[in-house]
Amino acid sequence: MSGPTTTVVDAKPAAPPRKVGDRPAKRASKWRRAVTGWAFATPFTALFLVFMALPVVASLAMSVTDLRSTDLRNPLAVNFVGLDNYTRLFGDELFVRSAANTLVFVVVGVPLTMVLALAAASALNSGLIRFRALFRVGFYLPVVTSIVAIAVVWRFLLDPEAGLVNNLLRLVGVDGPAWLGNTDTALPSLIVMAAWRNFGFLMVIFLAGLQGIPQHLYEAATLDGAGRWQQFRNVTVPLLRPTLLFGAVVTGIGFLQVFEEPFVMTQGGPLSSTLSVSYHIYNQFGFGNYGYAAAASYVLFVAIVALSVLQFRLLGERD
Amino acid sequence: MIRKRRTATAVAVAVAVTLAAGCGRDSAGTDDEARSVAQGQATGDITVWAMGTEGEKLGAFAQEFMTENPGARVNVTAVPWDAAHQKLASAIAAKQTPDVSMIGTTWQGEFAGTGALDPTPTDLIREDAFFPGAWDTTVVNDTAYGVPWYVETRVLYYRKDLAAAAGFPTGPANWDELKAMAKAMQAGGAQWGINLQPGKTGSWQTVLPFAWSNGANIAGDDGYTFDSPEMTEALAYYQSYFTERLAPTELAEGALEPAFVRGDIGAFVSGPWHVGLLNEQGGAGFADKFGVVPMPAKKSATSFIGGSNLAVFKDAKNRDGAWKFIEWLSRPEVQVRWYAASAALPAVQAAWQDASLSGDANLKVFGDQLADVKAPPTFQTWEQVAAAFDIEVEKLAKSGEDPATVARTVQDRAASIGTGR
Repeated sequence: MSGPTTTVVDAKPAAPPRKVGDRPAKRASKWRRAVTGWAFATPFTALFLVFMALPVVASLAMSVTDLRSTDLRNPLAVNFVGLDNYTRLFGDELFVRSAANTLVFVVVGVPLTMVLALAAASALNSGLIRFRALFRVGFYLPVVTSIVAIAVVWRFLLDPEAGLVNNLLRLVGVDGPAWLGNTDTALPSLIVMAAWRNFGFLMVIFLAGLQGIPQHLYEAATLDGAGRWQQFRNVTVPLLRPTLLFGAVVTGIGFLQVFEEPFVMTQGGPLSSTLSVSYHIYNQFGFGNYGYAAAASYVLFVAIVALSVLQFRLLGERD
Repeated sequence: MIRKRRTATAVAVAVAVTLAAGCGRDSAGTDDEARSVAQGQATGDITVWAMGTEGEKLGAFAQEFMTENPGARVNVTAVPWDAAHQKLASAIAAKQTPDVSMIGTTWQGEFAGTGALDPTPTDLIREDAFFPGAWDTTVVNDTAYGVPWYVETRVLYYRKDLAAAAGFPTGPANWDELKAMAKAMQAGGAQWGINLQPGKTGSWQTVLPFAWSNGANIAGDDGYTFDSPEMTEALAYYQSYFTERLAPTELAEGALEPAFVRGDIGAFVSGPWHVGLLNEQGGAGFADKFGVVPMPAKKSATSFIGGSNLAVFKDAKNRDGAWKFIEWLSRPEVQVRWYAASAALPAVQAAWQDASLSGDANLKVFGDQLADVKAPPTFQTWEQVAAAFDIEVEKLAKSGEDPATVARTVQDRAASIGTGR
């Protein structure tokens, strides 16, 4: 901790006792409180400004220039290009492709993850399942496992020749495809894998939400003759709405930024069928097209904001 | 994700500074003059960045240099390949570069374009000591920035037993023989006659030898020239292996070597590292079952040359020491010892006369092939164009895209990306 902070905090008890209506003293204490507050907030604020806010602002500035990696030593060569980078994006076949893929990721992946998480959470909460702790850990394990380890396992599972999935399919006489090597199956495979990897996190949150629903509501519903499904529809879902909204927003952001799954599993292939927007941005930074990549990042940012607003509209409180 | 964010930060700081400065992109043709290097022993600290195995092995290897130059200390930092490009770009932006860094040959254009690399001092380094194809990878806008350190080139690996049964006991010598051999091997029971990369990262390295052998030139002085009859013909030939089902369009990672060992794949195109891989996976006696030959010829038998260069930065604190260390690494006897330590092929021609290289039949093929090799252009944008090329190669192999369309599309993409100059 820095010196000034300590001084200010120490000084506080020594202040004269406050008198009602004594205006100068009141002002002084207000001022002192403000200083104390700022003193506590300064270390974080400074770090935040330098390492979070400044880069965000700078990258916005960067997105309207033609900055390339070769200009790094020669700043005078950088030009202001207005919205050129943004208009170029929509003529870029790969960006459009990646945007379409990412949209599929969101549209299929978010509901899939939510349903998996809600089903798992309900099952764990209802007491239908024995060994609850074991399942809870099991479902959560993929969340904390390194994506690299997960990739190795999944690539083995999905291997066209030796993979478990195709071996099982062969038992029932079906010849499975090369899951990750086929343009039709690569993206769905990755979505399933991403949903499997992420639903454990939501499950924990949903579980907490479910446990916050008072038991007497279910008892009342039972007295009214509601079955399990009706209880779920008319009691659980409405009361879980804020939790579901949170889940949808967080998962939506996660899927819009999806990067690791295609990066470790398919490198965006085959035929760019699993290229995501984040991956495209990563590649463009790698090629040294910093201005262009920054513009793509901002388009992604706007998409995230738009999706979140939409989700708040659809799932948020209506009264 | 984390990596991406870090780039943004590094770049953002640079931009924040630069934006205030104003505009005017003039040609990056800064007329660099190579300065001479002081005589005598190297002194002072020399900081070196090297990637992959090289980074791990170079430190111990440099002990000898320090014994010869007691006043000098070489500090090697091993950088993972994945992070190397960003790390170098950030270092250049911040002017916090090491004295020497290993530079992948395909990055040479970009990094030289930043103006951060020191031109190679002609009084210390002799161009004619190196393979010309390797030297070309250091030259950007007619100036050499760095020195080839080690090289790799692509040749054809084939199963001797299957080839003998197919009627090609010494391997194929030209395009027609390669096709005939692949067909005969498949007729003889191999699942696939050959494996050629069906797209994906780096497949251009397998395709370009065919294009170059057919006389195609992918770049001139003014820019890229992918759209040529020679290129189209080479692409059609490459594609025929997939349409005639002689080569797999999908091979899982790591499946090539076991399939080759089993005899399921008769031949493939790859670099020198596969000799060791095959001996390891094939077990005792497998070394006799496979051979290597130079790329099958059409108009020529030109292959691809890659590898890594060593470059000194303008912001180096110990420029003279850095160049002296590079000069030492380029001595033939040191290159031979480095080959023994790392299995990286010497870029210096004289090193190949050593018995440890010339005595090995497989290595001799690589040595011969190195006499006829080409490097991709050292334009700043080459990596990006190569990635676009990879995507079109994938379409060529997997979705039956017309070769002429592929050549035209690659040219269009390359033209819109530009050379970066």
